[in-house]
Amino acid sequence: MSERYLDERTFATGEVVFAEGDTTSEMFIVQEGTVALTKTVAGREIFVGTQERGDFFGEMSLLTGQPRQATCVAMAPTRLLAIRSGELLMKLRRDPTLALEMVAQMSRRMAYLEEQLVRMSEHQLENRHEIKKAIARAEFHNDDDSQR
Amino acid sequence: MITDVREERLLVTSDSHVGSLFCDARRGLIRFLEYARAHGYNVCINGDGIDTEYTSLRAFTAETSAFLRDLRRVTSDMTVYYTVGNHDILLEHYVGDWGRLHLVPFLNVSSGSSRIRIEHGHLYDPSMMTDPNLHHGIRQFLCALCRMYPPGYFWHEKYQRVRFRYFRRLLGQDRHALASAATRDISPAFLDAAEELANRGFDAVVFGHTHYPGEFPINRNRARYLNTGSWFRDPHYVTIDNGAVTLRPIPAALR
Repeated sequence: MSERYLDERTFATGEVVFAEGDTTSEMFIVQEGTVALTKTVAGREIFVGTQERGDFFGEMSLLTGQPRQATCVAMAPTRLLAIRSGELLMKLRRDPTLALEMVAQMSRRMAYLEEQLVRMSEHQLENRHEIKKAIARAEFHNDDDSQR
Repeated sequence: MITDVREERLLVTSDSHVGSLFCDARRGLIRFLEYARAHGYNVCINGDGIDTEYTSLRAFTAETSAFLRDLRRVTSDMTVYYTVGNHDILLEHYVGDWGRLHLVPFLNVSSGSSRIRIEHGHLYDPSMMTDPNLHHGIRQFLCALCRMYPPGYFWHEKYQRVRFRYFRRLLGQDRHALASAATRDISPAFLDAAEELANRGFDAVVFGHTHYPGEFPINRNRARYLNTGSWFRDPHYVTIDNGAVTLRPIPAALR
């Protein structure tokens, strides 16, 4: 039966599933509840997103062996299915469509990140354009003053 | 390809085998679709809706062209999802959105507060997994025999039932030990697969493929396995109504 190798974990509201920098390497599938992912940038906590029933997270550490890139906190009473590296292959053999769903979810995340990147670049370009205009204006005023 | 959808009202049926030499379900399936449209449901045909295996080119083209014409008429104002099964596996080449007809490998439905997985289930068939070429060869041979002697198909079905009910117990393969009438026709491989899927946060897992309708609690009663049987005999359907999932026999008037 499937329960033989599965590791279910429950978390109370506010409980930390893993913290940024941790070296744990399981990936998780949300069976029940919601978790929030946050990341600390320049001393400020940035909200990355929430994961709900059926979503998975933590796969980056499992697949690349890198420390956790974000902190994960349960937003409600939550039950998670933890999958360690050896178990992922077993899970995929028993549940082959999970691979397709993982790829689909990662593609959606990538599309979202690309969109964010484009927005940031546009914002930067606009800022640069504004700065150039401001410099041009300042130079024009300087020339005007010197002519007087 | 969209496999995650929200549907508050959805009907699910499977294994109508339109085009098969041994099953005449085309008109029944269209009546079922019309019934769904009249009652404001969308529909999921959960695999083996058409049959490219147990057929001849003449029967297949005659039946499926009429079916597609009716399907186009019916789907003018309703959404139909079609999950690919093993008898229509050719359709994998056409997976995607065709207007209001969505060809998908499986479907994750959110309805009310429930999550339901709909999949044909052939991926978990032990005989297809262990030796797909042998399985295909045997099916081709059986198909040729059944063409010569059509009632042979029903004898084949009866053999499968006896195998599921008794041989498994003799071989010690039945973990449910024939404890209930609901599980005696279900291969444990499908229950295991349903449990595996339910572990991903599904309340119900709906399969077809086995031709045996039934319902069984899985994952310590947290989820349910449902099977809609087939249109060869005793067809069933699942209603999903704002998260409530119910298995029902298809009324005789619609068959």
